[in-house]
Amino acid sequence: MRLCLSGMHILLIEDDVLAAEYLTKGLGECGHVVDHAADGNVGLNLALNGHYDVIVVDRMLPGRDGLTIIRMLRADRNQTPALVLSALGEVDDRVEGLRAGGDDYLVKPYAFSELLARLEALARRNQPAAQQQRLQIADLVIDRQNQTVKRAGRLIRLQPREFRLLEYLMRNAGRLVTRTMLLEHVWDFNFDPQTNVIDVQISRLRGKIDTGFSVPLLHTVRGAGYLLSESP
Amino acid sequence: MNLPRLFRTTAVRLTLRYAIAYAVVMGLLLAALYWTSSRYVDSQLETGLEQELYSLNGKFESGGLQKLAQAVSQREEHGLQEGRYYLLVGRDGARIAGNLLAWPPDSHIPYDGKVHSVWVEDDIIPGSRYDDDAYWPVIVRELPDGSRLLLSRSIRQAEDLQESMLYLMAFILTMAVLLALAMGVTLGRTILGRMDTISRAAGEIMAGDLSRRVPASGSNDEFDALAERLNSMLDRIQQLIKGIREVTDNVAHDMRSPLSRLRNRLEVTLLEGRSKDEYRDAIGKTIEDAESLIRTFNTMLGIAQLDSGNNRTQWSHVDLNTLASDLEELYKPVAGQKGQEFRLVTGEPAEITGSRDLLAQAIGNLLDNAIKYTPEGGAILLRVKRLEDAIEVMVRDSGAGIPAAEREHVLERFVRLESSRHTQGNGLGLSLVKAVAHLHGAGLRLGDAGPGLTVTLRFPHSRTD
Repeated sequence: MRLCLSGMHILLIEDDVLAAEYLTKGLGECGHVVDHAADGNVGLNLALNGHYDVIVVDRMLPGRDGLTIIRMLRADRNQTPALVLSALGEVDDRVEGLRAGGDDYLVKPYAFSELLARLEALARRNQPAAQQQRLQIADLVIDRQNQTVKRAGRLIRLQPREFRLLEYLMRNAGRLVTRTMLLEHVWDFNFDPQTNVIDVQISRLRGKIDTGFSVPLLHTVRGAGYLLSESP
Repeated sequence: MNLPRLFRTTAVRLTLRYAIAYAVVMGLLLAALYWTSSRYVDSQLETGLEQELYSLNGKFESGGLQKLAQAVSQREEHGLQEGRYYLLVGRDGARIAGNLLAWPPDSHIPYDGKVHSVWVEDDIIPGSRYDDDAYWPVIVRELPDGSRLLLSRSIRQAEDLQESMLYLMAFILTMAVLLALAMGVTLGRTILGRMDTISRAAGEIMAGDLSRRVPASGSNDEFDALAERLNSMLDRIQQLIKGIREVTDNVAHDMRSPLSRLRNRLEVTLLEGRSKDEYRDAIGKTIEDAESLIRTFNTMLGIAQLDSGNNRTQWSHVDLNTLASDLEELYKPVAGQKGQEFRLVTGEPAEITGSRDLLAQAIGNLLDNAIKYTPEGGAILLRVKRLEDAIEVMVRDSGAGIPAAEREHVLERFVRLESSRHTQGNGLGLSLVKAVAHLHGAGLRLGDAGPGLTVTLRFPHSRTD
């Protein structure tokens, strides 16, 4: 199972020491370097003076709350991607968190794989792949301008939403993408659809891009999400 | 019931205030009455004097001084008893007849035949019976031959009358004020008594007896109305508490089985040494169980937050047609997997103000139910329809439907019909729909599609928007 990529420098501002320990361990095993601050003021100092790929910040903190930290960072023209953790979890809280300058929002309790996938997506969203007109993995090629998809030179017809789904997977190729991330970015929805709606969408897409080819590209990561990659 | 407490009651305080005002008004009234009546008595005296002077003058005119003196002498004796006084003096001032001993020393009495108030000394009153010196009404006339006639009346009787009137008035006033006070105290006692009943009942309820109610006196007054109001409030509270208890029981029940399953699996896995794959498998299943627990928990929290109903700050315009077609795109393939036909019918623009995510969650839950409870090959319809005063979102399936008697019941939390026990779910789906509908001011109706179920969300809307 490929959950981990390596090499991010992550700042974790979280006052729950036990939770922070698990996260540090988990992220460390995936090859990331984690700095931990248990207090809002210490966290803000680290964030202002260090160079991080991504910041994970809890909303409720001693010293200074999470949203204030992000606001102060943004006021300081620091655009380090930030993910807000919260135990609140209502629609309004989420919008509030994003308005404060947060880039993503995750409600406790969350799955570790979800956090990891979102962190990696955040840290790499400004990389060239996000802007390229033509994306390729193995013999699968999509052209964003013409909205065309080809595999081994053969044209594949996709519906607009299927194209958006594939495009998102291609942009995050080689990385785990969770169901909620897909629902958020491809369908603009932020709710729990209860059933396996995303699984069905994925299997339809898989039917179009993988069926009839020797190497499957779209993999299911059990209990976590999906992965578009040459090697499973 | 102690007195200080009684005097703090509103009733007694009000009564005191009114009693004072009442006494002042009544005092003024009685004073006016007293003044008027004494004026009346005075004028009666004056008229009597004038009439008698006139009559005695007649005697003089018909029979001269001698006849007048005779008439005065005749009246002396009787007059003395009734407080009537006479004095006839000659031109030289010598007394001729009358029961007054001498001319009043205050001799500047005008001889004009009109009544004047004159100081009369004791010593000119014969025998000084019971009349004291005082200002008396006096009338004097000078006769043509130079003699003078003086008439006067004792004011003693008038004074007696006024005095007894004064006593009577004071008595009436005192009685009236006392009566008012007594009424106030009685009223205060009654109110205190009724209040104590309510307060005692409240005390017992606080002590834990939630089924206790405030007794009504049966007089149908405002206290009974208050008691009735309080009782229906208590009914509502008791019902809410019962509801919370039920939910707690259900939560305990619904959480217990996955929790014990989760624990048992871990325990059994640990019993013997296992292969890496077996551990992996056990952990994977455990994560799935935890996931489903968290989901149930979050949905419950979500419903609770929706019910508290104060998160409308981030609302925006939501086009229900677009939302419906987005959801169709998401759910149609799932229906397709079960060989169900999924149809979307939209029409005129249908924009409302609300939360897109919550509305998606609600309609999504309905679609999810429809797909779950409709057999393979069935049909599902999602329809958005604009009516005169509302926008309706309807989900219809061709499944088994819900018996009419159960339709209210299924909207409650954690309720799952027997027939659906074998399917996945936590029994919160429709409760969430209900909460979202309520938050958006929409009506939620379950109906019969014969066969199948229709669920209709009706958003109030006016054409002018």
